[in-house]
Amino acid sequence: MTADGELLVALAGQPNVGKSTVFNILTGLSQHVGNWPGKTVEKKEGYYSIDGRRIRIVDLPGSYSLTAYSEEEKIARDFIINERPNAIVLIANASAVERSLYLLAEFLLLNVPVVVALNMMDVAEQQGVRIEVRMLEKYLGVPVVPMVASKNKGIKELVSAILHISEKGDNFNPSLADVAEDHRDIFAELAALLEPYIDPPYLIRWTITKIMEGDPDVTERMAQSVPADVWRRTQAVLREHEDSLLAVVRGRYDWIEGAVRSATSKFKRGQILFTDRLDDILTRPSLGIPILFGVLAVVFAITYGLGLPLQQVLESLMRVLVTWIEPLLGQSPWVRGIVVDGLVGGAGTVLTFLPVLFFFFTAMAFLEDVGYMARAAFVMDRFMHFIGLHGKSFLPFCLGFGCNVPAVMGARILESGRIRLLTIFLTPFVPCTAKLAVVTLIAAAIFGKDAFLISWLLIAGNILVLGFTGMIVSKLFFTPMHMPFIMELPFYHKPNPRTIGIVVWKRIIAFLRKAGSIIVLFSVLLWLLSHIPGGDIETSILGSVGRFLEPVGRPMGLDWKMIVALLSGIAARENAIAALGVLYGVGEEGIRVILASVMGHATALSFLVMLMLFVPCVATLVVMKQEMGSWRWFLLSFAFMLFLSYAAGIVAYRGALMIGI
Amino acid sequence: MTDEVVSLVSLREGEEGVIQAVSGGPGLIGRLASLGITSGIKVRMVRNIGGPLIVTTNGTRIAIGRGQAQKIVVRRLTAGEEEDKTA
Ligand SMILES: Nc1nc2c(ncn2[C@@H]2O[C@H](COP(=O)(O)OP(=O)(O)OP(=O)(O)O)[C@@H](O)[C@H]2O)c(=O)[nH]1
Ligand SMILES: [Mg+2]
Repeated sequence: MTADGELLVALAGQPNVGKSTVFNILTGLSQHVGNWPGKTVEKKEGYYSIDGRRIRIVDLPGSYSLTAYSEEEKIARDFIINERPNAIVLIANASAVERSLYLLAEFLLLNVPVVVALNMMDVAEQQGVRIEVRMLEKYLGVPVVPMVASKNKGIKELVSAILHISEKGDNFNPSLADVAEDHRDIFAELAALLEPYIDPPYLIRWTITKIMEGDPDVTERMAQSVPADVWRRTQAVLREHEDSLLAVVRGRYDWIEGAVRSATSKFKRGQILFTDRLDDILTRPSLGIPILFGVLAVVFAITYGLGLPLQQVLESLMRVLVTWIEPLLGQSPWVRGIVVDGLVGGAGTVLTFLPVLFFFFTAMAFLEDVGYMARAAFVMDRFMHFIGLHGKSFLPFCLGFGCNVPAVMGARILESGRIRLLTIFLTPFVPCTAKLAVVTLIAAAIFGKDAFLISWLLIAGNILVLGFTGMIVSKLFFTPMHMPFIMELPFYHKPNPRTIGIVVWKRIIAFLRKAGSIIVLFSVLLWLLSHIPGGDIETSILGSVGRFLEPVGRPMGLDWKMIVALLSGIAARENAIAALGVLYGVGEEGIRVILASVMGHATALSFLVMLMLFVPCVATLVVMKQEMGSWRWFLLSFAFMLFLSYAAGIVAYRGALMIGI
Repeated sequence: MTDEVVSLVSLREGEEGVIQAVSGGPGLIGRLASLGITSGIKVRMVRNIGGPLIVTTNGTRIAIGRGQAQKIVVRRLTAGEEEDKTA
């Protein structure tokens, strides 16, 4: 609990029930909202103030239960146990009350005041489910607030319920789910054995239940703290009653059944839902797979069809801008260089990509919001098996097209450690928007009307490399194993422009922030390094380092400027554009014109191939290390990417020369 | 009324069944239970053409890999059979 009257409130619930929607409304922040399970994978905090009271609100990752099967669920559980919030808001899905109540049954054992926010009342209504909120409240002994978070309904009532319950403090007396009747004595026996060894913050009832459920964490911890003979007896009891887990589950469902019977009714039934009809098409492999590729093709067509022409407009605007500001810069070649070649040529060129990103983010946010992503993951499952993964990994990969960082984090939704590891290992081979920007720009500059084809081939090639790498790595390092695949498919819903707007806005802001900080700094720094001391690139500091590097690039036909551009992509992928812009001094004429005159086709091709396969940006590397949790894997992946990009660069260069591109 | 007890994978699309048992480790049983797949619950098969399958239950639709689905035993409800209590 927090000091000075500040309240700590956690938003918990199963995945995709609207936790982040509620969080965003309350805190005014913009957490990722979309219609597929597993978007929030870290806990996020914000504040809400009312009547001079501050409430610290924590958005927890979705968890189906409190037995931690995946990383996000562990986060949710540890938070509640260790931080003891003043209240938990359990966000429930009114159209699937049973399973929301399942999680509630677990939360109530933790003895923290709970408010149930019964969200998605509109969906329940559509499906003909009526819920008597008062009856439910009475049965559960917990305040229940009906809500439609996406329409901002019920928020006020929720806040007052939170305030009310956190003031009541210990006066909270909910009905609890017991283990099934025939196992109550076993429960008592275990409790008698273990009670003396269970210390706060762990609660007796919760701990015994978890032990009966076979929760690995809790079992492990008890094994450490209980004397050996007591533990042996405990295990004997558990072995004798192997069905303890089922008894716990049965007990919960009896309790749920009671709640459902007393408080819900179906007033319509047998209707064919919109979701059923769409799913009939989208999840049928013979149709679903072509549709998926069609959808992705449309996304890219929109992105480039609309985005690229606008990018060109921005580029010419930038040149106009340069002609305006140049006279104002005075005589010093340094000021002119920093502003025109450094800032405009570097960071400015990167900024012209804003429209491309805008269309891409909008298209993806739309697909996320209507509920298509989980279906895409479903039809991709069979292909993912070839590379040692399953359908769920497709979700982080999709995020990866936007940016690899959230994709690596998003791999947390995968329950199996090795699938998670492999997914992270492969994520850098998903071409992110920054990479795509570099590719499009260079392809457009060098290959003219073939640019589109070349870009496509590069993207397709990148994805094939992902596939082959997955196949090889899973064959080499992992023994074949059953890979459990269980994934909820949410209902489709009408796209909500506000949700989509927030997601797009947030990503655009992130891009602008990056362009305005790291990329600006980098552009200026690079310009300075390439002009100090003499004002001439070839004799500059960077020039001498560059010439030293030149032999490395020779087999791929790259000069040192291109190598510097490639390396500078490590700070942020867009830097490669900035670096080319600065080093070739494109400020006035625009990057397309200049590049065409300095890069041959074969060179450009090998540069692009290397760029696609090269180690990702620092931000991605940092989260990869953090999420892999092992230096060995991290270094292996790093070395692999270096080697692969080098080798592929040489092959591309030699190949291109040979066939005379 | 025939009481045919089969594995979930042998339900055809559109057929319904009542879950009799879920075998497997605590991880699988617990995860499925928290999604509403547990003994006594009625499910309907939505998609079953090789690969993972999709079932619906109580307003939830869930994709389940074939391997896991094989471990779920259901009593097939014949068409027209008035489904009895679902829990
Ligand atoms: N129809 C309807 N949709 C809602 C409601 N509340 C939220 N949604 C939508 O449900 C989807 C999931 O909402 P989120 O807020 O992202 O859910 P979450 O619980 O944070 O999900 P995870 O972070 O993935 O666990 C989004 O598409 C929301 O727009 C509601 O009351 N009614
Ligand atoms: Mg969320």
